[in-house]
Amino acid sequence: MSAAGSSRRSLLWGVLLVSLLTLAPLVALAWDALFGGALQGVSLGSEGRLQVGNTLALVAGEGLLGGVVGTAIGWLTALCSFPGRRLLRIAQLLPMAFPAYLQAASLIDWGSRAGWRIHGLGWAIALLALANYTYVFYLSHETFASSGRRLLEASRCLGVGPWRSFGRVALPLALPAIGAGVALSAMEVVNELGAVRLLGVPSLSAGILDRWQAEGDAPGAALLALVALAIVALLVSGERLLRRRSRRWNLSVGSPQGPLWHLQGWRAALAMVITALPPLLAVLIPCLWVSSGWESLRQQDGTELAALTLRSLVLALAATGVTLAAALLLAVVRRWTPRPLVQQLSVIAGLGYAVPGSVLALGLLILGGAIGLGPLLLLLWGYGDRFMAVAKQGLDAAFERMPPSIDEAAISLGCNWRGVLRRVHLPLQRGPLLVGGLLVFVDVVKELPLTLSLRPFDFDTLAVRVFQYASDERVGAAMTPALLIMVLGLLASAALIPSLDRR
Amino acid sequence: MIANKRAALPLLGTLVLSLTAPATLAQEVRVYSGRHYSSDNAIYERFTKATGIKVRLLESNDSAIVERLRNEGRNSSADVLILVDAAKLAHATELGLFQPIGNAELMRDVPLSLRDPKGRWFGLTRRVRAFVVNPKLVNPGSLRTYADLANPALKGKLCLRNRNSVYNQSLVADQLILRGQPATRSWIRGMIANLADPVYTSDTVLARDVARGKCGVGVVNSYYVARMLSGQNGAADKALAARVRIVYPNPAHVNVSGAGVTRHATNRTQAIQLIEYLTSPTAAEGFAQGSFEYPLKGFGNNPILKRFGPFTPDGLSAAQLGAKAKAASQLMADNGWQ
Repeated sequence: MSAAGSSRRSLLWGVLLVSLLTLAPLVALAWDALFGGALQGVSLGSEGRLQVGNTLALVAGEGLLGGVVGTAIGWLTALCSFPGRRLLRIAQLLPMAFPAYLQAASLIDWGSRAGWRIHGLGWAIALLALANYTYVFYLSHETFASSGRRLLEASRCLGVGPWRSFGRVALPLALPAIGAGVALSAMEVVNELGAVRLLGVPSLSAGILDRWQAEGDAPGAALLALVALAIVALLVSGERLLRRRSRRWNLSVGSPQGPLWHLQGWRAALAMVITALPPLLAVLIPCLWVSSGWESLRQQDGTELAALTLRSLVLALAATGVTLAAALLLAVVRRWTPRPLVQQLSVIAGLGYAVPGSVLALGLLILGGAIGLGPLLLLLWGYGDRFMAVAKQGLDAAFERMPPSIDEAAISLGCNWRGVLRRVHLPLQRGPLLVGGLLVFVDVVKELPLTLSLRPFDFDTLAVRVFQYASDERVGAAMTPALLIMVLGLLASAALIPSLDRR
Repeated sequence: MIANKRAALPLLGTLVLSLTAPATLAQEVRVYSGRHYSSDNAIYERFTKATGIKVRLLESNDSAIVERLRNEGRNSSADVLILVDAAKLAHATELGLFQPIGNAELMRDVPLSLRDPKGRWFGLTRRVRAFVVNPKLVNPGSLRTYADLANPALKGKLCLRNRNSVYNQSLVADQLILRGQPATRSWIRGMIANLADPVYTSDTVLARDVARGKCGVGVVNSYYVARMLSGQNGAADKALAARVRIVYPNPAHVNVSGAGVTRHATNRTQAIQLIEYLTSPTAAEGFAQGSFEYPLKGFGNNPILKRFGPFTPDGLSAAQLGAKAKAASQLMADNGWQ
């Protein structure tokens, strides 16, 4: 592989640059915290301990609930047959379209109109699990459907029933994938801001922002951010470890065989209820809200809504392009250069995902002020930093499944690295690239704190408008832009269907 | 090819001109605002009609735009900064984000307690931290001052917003100044002991729960209830709001939203013109009316606000409130206000 090595050096520099760019805002923050403010006695305090405790409780609760729900649905839709299985499998993508802060805001408002108080840790865990269980479902479904299949068939031939083969064969095989899914969703939980704040749960992400902005205590905020980063670093390394254990090369993507277990009677009904419930809830919450507040949904300025939608779209498309290009670079170099340094750089470049958007925004503002970068460029930088992991996730996994012998064959046939990339990797990775791109697109459309803090003048997006109306407690006016965000999210999730259906 | 290029040049020239001309020739003023009321836009439009100066807007929450302006420093393109809380205004002044404008008209239109004494920012509207009372559960006549909220008779009947609310932080700062630390501490403890339910994250949700009788009394900015009464939130909210009473404590803690010219403003003249316009009696009335706030002087003409009756401000200045903001937030945290 080292024959084409010299021209690949430039790629290494590219990786270094991307990693530096992703780290720069965090370094700027640390710098500002240490040298910008007067250093005082820094301590977590009782409040900080409460915030850490709550975040850990959220991570544990969401991980357990989301893990169980995601795994159950992954198993049922991958290996059991019941009426509506294909449709219900696709429906699992629905909850992704609805950002947790919107779900929380609409549930709270609807509940309050109906006379119920939606508040506290329990609701936060439930809503976050609803918004994030898809990660576990997606990864466990993939494993159940592909790799464990032959072993399951063997165990079935040996007369082991569905429950026991789930517990003794499928679950152990899928544990790494489930763990990886739980770790990913836990990162979302650590940096969730809107939903937990609305539900009145004091968490780390809110604490960081409050200490920094409201109390002007930069060192205290940096300390909390360090705790958050430590939690995330644990999750990331856990996910890496689990993924390495589940790594196997496999090119046979489509496996058109039917399911293994045919459910009938009450079992089939139960399977339908379990798989239908989460997507149904995800759609029901905003629907209930809209129906209860219908009359306050006043006529909105159509041209303004169109402008908001257009800005959301343009930003999301640009951010998707930037992020995908950088993620592809990282994934390819990681494949070709198995040096530990490159592997670590690749992990570092994905860390932005775990940093609360509002914290990242602060770091970028400090940098932008120092080097005089325009707000739009800063915003794109922020999106790229924040969502690199989302794009990289699928690409890395796909590259890991592709045997290195393919590259070796291409090179021995006289291809240089550009040729391998263009003629072998890109055609083979079109699916993961598309999926990664769509996920980034949806995330950018839903994204709030970065957009809110970094956008230029007269550049409101749908999410920003929703936030403004909602923070002014005029929930009725927030409905139309909120619905448009959901529609964009739904369209993008619909585009994911083929990738799921293929399995 | 060459002919084509020559023909294209002037065309390109006009295109470039037409793209850049409005930005360089037209007058404009760039505003960072912590207010999010669509009724504000109507006032800005009227200003543009009257003066020909275009208003370019960036709305966000107070803390976020202050942080942005601070980091942008000299490079910032903002000319005017509007914030919605006295303590935040004082904080921004302390950070040196405003520049003083000695302007006789502004000094005359804005009362001293509602502006910076050195003319770095000027109040635009007033909002009052009021009691929202369910008369079936609590006698509105029994509530005269904020101190009454700690009365053990209200045990299990009081509902409060969270500590995160800047309006609550300023209220506690207000009490710290007027009553001193020991009294304020026991007041907070008394209120926390009276809570009917965990603290709320929204004034509107709180007001609804008072109307339903889950709480007997709550503390909110009166404009949230005014908005419910106006029917803007729908008929159900209007009916709920009709069940509650707004009671203004005497004296009342009055908060302001205010505007100042930023330190590095490029359009200083236009910025001053905008602030003059917003504080002038006619426009200020409109600015306040659309959001059910009170104008700088008097109580406005809004029939809903008239129903709430007049109030007596306690007269504390924003600088005073700002100086106590941090101590207030700490005191709340130390005494169980989540």
